[in-house]
Amino acid sequence: MNASRTSGAVPPAASVSETGFDPTLFDRFPTSGERPEGELGELEHVWRAPRGWGLLTVVNNNYVGIFYVGAAFLFFLLAGILALVMRVQLALPLNGVLPQETYNQFFTMHGTVMMFLFAVPAVEALGVLLLPQMLAARDLPFPRLSAYAFWAYLVGGLAFFASIFVGLAPNGGWFMYPPLTSTAYSPGINADFWLLGIGFIEISAIAGAIEIIVGVLKTRAPGMSLDKMPIFAWAMLVFAGMIIIAFPAVIFGTLALELERALNWPFFDPTRGGDPLLWQHLFWFFGHPEVYIIFLPAAGLVSMMVAALSRTPLVGYRLVVLALVATAFISFGVWAHHMFAVGMPRLSVGFFSAASMAVSVPAGIQVFAWIATLSVGRPRYQTPTLFLVGGLVTFVLGGLTGVMVAMVPFDWQVHDSYFIVAHLHYVLIGGMVFPMFAGFYYWTPMMSRRPLSERLGKWVFWLMFAGMQVTFLPMHLTGFMGMPRRVYTYLPGRDWEITNMISTVGAFMLAAGILIFLVDLIRNFRFAAEGNAGNVYGGGTLEWLPTGLYSTRSIPLVTSREPLWDRPGLSREVEEGRYFLPGSATGNRETIITSPLRAEPQYLQIMPGPSVWPLLSAIFTAGFFLLLTVQAYLVGVVSGLVAIWCMIRWLWETDRPVRPPTADIGAGIEVPTYVTGPSTHGWWAMVVLQIVIGMIFLMAAFSYLYLYGVHTSFWTAPPAPSWLALLLPLYGAGMGLAWLARVLLARRRSTLWSPATALLFGAASLLTGFVLDCLSWRWSGLDPEASGQGATVYGLLAIQGFVTGVAVLIALYVAARNSRGLVTRPRNNSFDLAVLFLIYTGAQGVLGAALVRLFPGAV
Amino acid sequence: MRAWLLLLGGMLVWTIHFFVLYGLGSLFGTTPTARIGTLLVTLACLAANLAILVTCMRIARTADRESVLGWPARLGAPVAVLSIVSVAWQAFPALFT
Amino acid sequence: MWPRISTPSGIVEGLAGWPPPVLDPAGPYAGSVAALSWALIALAAGIFLIVLAALWIALRGRERLRARLGGERAIWIGGVVFPVVVLTALLIWGLTLTRNLSEPAGGPELRMRVSGEMWWWRVSYLDGNGRAFMQDANELHIPVGRTIAIELVSPDVIHSFWVPQLSGKLDMVPGRRNLIRIQADRPGTYAGICAEYCGGPHALMGFLVVAHAPDDYARWLAARRAPRAAPPDRQSARGAALFVSAGCAACHRIAGTPANGQAGPDLTHVGSRRTLGAGILPNNRGTMIGWIGNSQAIKPGNRMPPYTVLPGEDLQALAAYLEAQR
Repeated sequence: MNASRTSGAVPPAASVSETGFDPTLFDRFPTSGERPEGELGELEHVWRAPRGWGLLTVVNNNYVGIFYVGAAFLFFLLAGILALVMRVQLALPLNGVLPQETYNQFFTMHGTVMMFLFAVPAVEALGVLLLPQMLAARDLPFPRLSAYAFWAYLVGGLAFFASIFVGLAPNGGWFMYPPLTSTAYSPGINADFWLLGIGFIEISAIAGAIEIIVGVLKTRAPGMSLDKMPIFAWAMLVFAGMIIIAFPAVIFGTLALELERALNWPFFDPTRGGDPLLWQHLFWFFGHPEVYIIFLPAAGLVSMMVAALSRTPLVGYRLVVLALVATAFISFGVWAHHMFAVGMPRLSVGFFSAASMAVSVPAGIQVFAWIATLSVGRPRYQTPTLFLVGGLVTFVLGGLTGVMVAMVPFDWQVHDSYFIVAHLHYVLIGGMVFPMFAGFYYWTPMMSRRPLSERLGKWVFWLMFAGMQVTFLPMHLTGFMGMPRRVYTYLPGRDWEITNMISTVGAFMLAAGILIFLVDLIRNFRFAAEGNAGNVYGGGTLEWLPTGLYSTRSIPLVTSREPLWDRPGLSREVEEGRYFLPGSATGNRETIITSPLRAEPQYLQIMPGPSVWPLLSAIFTAGFFLLLTVQAYLVGVVSGLVAIWCMIRWLWETDRPVRPPTADIGAGIEVPTYVTGPSTHGWWAMVVLQIVIGMIFLMAAFSYLYLYGVHTSFWTAPPAPSWLALLLPLYGAGMGLAWLARVLLARRRSTLWSPATALLFGAASLLTGFVLDCLSWRWSGLDPEASGQGATVYGLLAIQGFVTGVAVLIALYVAARNSRGLVTRPRNNSFDLAVLFLIYTGAQGVLGAALVRLFPGAV
Repeated sequence: MRAWLLLLGGMLVWTIHFFVLYGLGSLFGTTPTARIGTLLVTLACLAANLAILVTCMRIARTADRESVLGWPARLGAPVAVLSIVSVAWQAFPALFT
Repeated sequence: MWPRISTPSGIVEGLAGWPPPVLDPAGPYAGSVAALSWALIALAAGIFLIVLAALWIALRGRERLRARLGGERAIWIGGVVFPVVVLTALLIWGLTLTRNLSEPAGGPELRMRVSGEMWWWRVSYLDGNGRAFMQDANELHIPVGRTIAIELVSPDVIHSFWVPQLSGKLDMVPGRRNLIRIQADRPGTYAGICAEYCGGPHALMGFLVVAHAPDDYARWLAARRAPRAAPPDRQSARGAALFVSAGCAACHRIAGTPANGQAGPDLTHVGSRRTLGAGILPNNRGTMIGWIGNSQAIKPGNRMPPYTVLPGEDLQALAAYLEAQR
């Protein structure tokens, strides 16, 4: 749609414009002349953060971002302490520091916390903190969702971690392989802590991913086309895209395992037509991309810092983007290389071996791009540079051992030995932890009054780097000597004592480095949204513009990748309000929504301010999951209902058109302030959410087909296919009525049916379809506990039931809004999104009902 | 949409190729059917990648870098190259095991 | 809580870590992988040095060299062309080796079945029809120079069978039956260990593979099949009675006696085993007494209840009886 309405704009050539926006309008910037008195004051007023206890309701990305990073770092320390205790236990053979059961809980928690509570949230947190600044957006597009994701993660994470203090921590390994984790061999609630706790933190990760995708594609500064995006934004876009594809696999996996534990549905029980390997497929379809989900954002940070510290643009920007994109895809083809030793057919293992080779090429491209950039520039030997070079060396070594283990015969030897422990720590510490510490030093001046100390920083680096090598280099040998992973002790006389003792000494060196970093942090870190230390390292990207809580005073026009280097006066001009949105155009929090490819202004998004509802929603969501874990079902359900009520309260205030309908975003460029349809941020977020749900559904469908392939003999006949003649029209009617409701809304006068009525009938039709779908299976005599078929069929139905429930809730919500006159005509965003969701629900119902009846029944 | 297809085309071909081969392997195991199927699918995907590569290079040569398709085409070309290598590797197991 | 155990040389031979077993193969299935390992180590070290050199040039090198490194061409060569060439070669090597390793080495194979159970190994010797003719636990006896095809199964959770000097590892997955091949080309004792986390005392789930020269193997087999002698003295005769009355027989089997329990390791030949507790203790009178009396203090969480109620002389008698089961 053409969102820019300016007097006398000539229709631009299609080849240079994506949305019909006339790029010559950009020539009006920077503007000249005095800005009106009080404009800055209003901007500050609109974006001010609440004080005191009210700070808990803050939604500004500066605050939420720093809380988020802080929480992730806390979990890094906690999981690190667990690792230190484990190293003490392993320093000597048959050591008695940690009893067996405690050690098993410790290593499970170390892996789980590092992966789920540190690594993924840490990079997501850096995204929340840095992305709006780098893109010169006022904030991410859904600030309250960021706040919700953060609080859900913090509350849920702390409660999950606390399980270790009462001996209830999970002890089945971070990979939670059944049958070890099914009720027969793990009767306690330890495993439930993992399944519900982690399942819930994944929801927080997905919320963040949706935020980041829409943020990167829709809220970039005008002119920042895809090829001018800071490489970190590319990395975060790819990261978020991978989360929405990968996490559904583990969400469905945890759901299935919890259903097996709680309700005895045999997804993974081979005696009833389930299969333990199904879990491994689901888990690693998430688990391997997870490694790249962690690595790619950190690689993005490295690309940013290498360029800035070398004072030259990144060499091979295009190739680095290629590497990010290629990694994202190919990493979904390597999951089974964690399963080379389970006895797959050799064609299959070779197949995954090939993909594992392919995924190493993009990593090599990035390494050489960094080396090339370093050799063009003259990097200064400051602490971030040290961490970058140290990280590079470490990561390369980890990458090389990675290629080694991609060779199937070699992997058969070293799989699940200490060689793998060495490999994965080289990759993750070199690829993620060292870059993150480089980032801490590099970006602290952006949000602290003082930079961190260079003198202490050198100590931190050398201790951490040396400690890392001393700890993990000998582990390669320990693995060759035959020491398996996940052992709480080992016997003397095998020469494992020597390398293990060295590793333990190294671990303490590493810890000493981190301790000094904490000292540095305490001495020098002083949070300041305004009046920070500034561009100490001379970066060229937009996060180094002078900022307040409102981000930059005006949103610059971007014409290159390093605007601050290419236009030395930019900071001053931005500060003088000579670019877009120099004040608050409507008196609200707002940011410019731009088009995804060329970043042409489309409309002005009105953003919500501080609110207590995201905080309360998060607390009660966490309550729901944790109370279920400790089997307080009634209180848990009440908590869940309260959470839903809080979310409805939170949403109720949103989606209100403001006056005037269009606003001047600078230099006389007028854009609408309320837009509906496929170009809106809400529509995009809904589509991304549907991809997530669709992936969960796809994983359930895969499980159904997989178990059929493994244990066909357990299969019974489905209900007669003639049921489809009843179900498909019901699901179809639900979709049709939803679509009709949108048509009716656009009509000025709809007499017979009100749009809300049509929507409600649509939801009712979907609900009826779902109930009949369930009944047809009940009457066919198939129980969910009976077999893998029963478990997966009812698993698919459970997902359909959940989605249907949400659809009904949404329809009721929109009907309620309609009755209060909150649904604008002819188009309304809340209404559109409800329609989209109902149509999705119907489509999923059709696919699910057809799949389980026609295959294998009709084949 | 066209821009995204140019940019991601190579990787989409890789994805289709990968999962079709995975399906073939799951259905037919280590049999001649699977091997021949793998070979045919691989040739088709290599051809598709070549087509994407040629299209990208043609657009990249003619279009302005600041145009809507210009940069996506410049990126799409090496993506297709990488996809060609990866698709070929993906077929190796059917040839060598 | 741990008794200090000095491991006698008998086990050390099989379990020693130096030279590293992965790089010290004793048969063809491990040998070709060791060769591959050395090649990979050399290759990785070489590439690592090249990258270090490039990094050194980037940071400290002469202007002319740095200019060469600082462009897209260097990325194409270092990041694309070079890896693609190396990886293509590696992939072909890996794939052909994978094929060779999963095929019989030639000659008639012996068949065995090993079942990984929490936290020990049930060993069955199979005849030509795949029927078990002999039961044992935690120790596999094989002839040198013959390929042994071992069926790997598990009745409880996932375990993994790994004898680094003889072959790579393969998982034992409930509901599935995997087949691994091992072969030893020189007599000796080779240590194995469970490589898939299986809960509790997973760390203490080891076993031994004893490879005999062909003649020795034939003698060993004949001895196993020989009729069983009566308990040699009064003490062990008392042990035999105790074995049934104290409850041992509920879980353990001793062929030719009323003891026919199936839950725990078969003890028909326990006296000749080199280790106790699944590869963790040397086998002698003292460790046997300690194990029966309170195995929970040695291997916490294992399925055998402690017999602290038994008086010392009963433990002595049981140990003497079991020692005689050779």
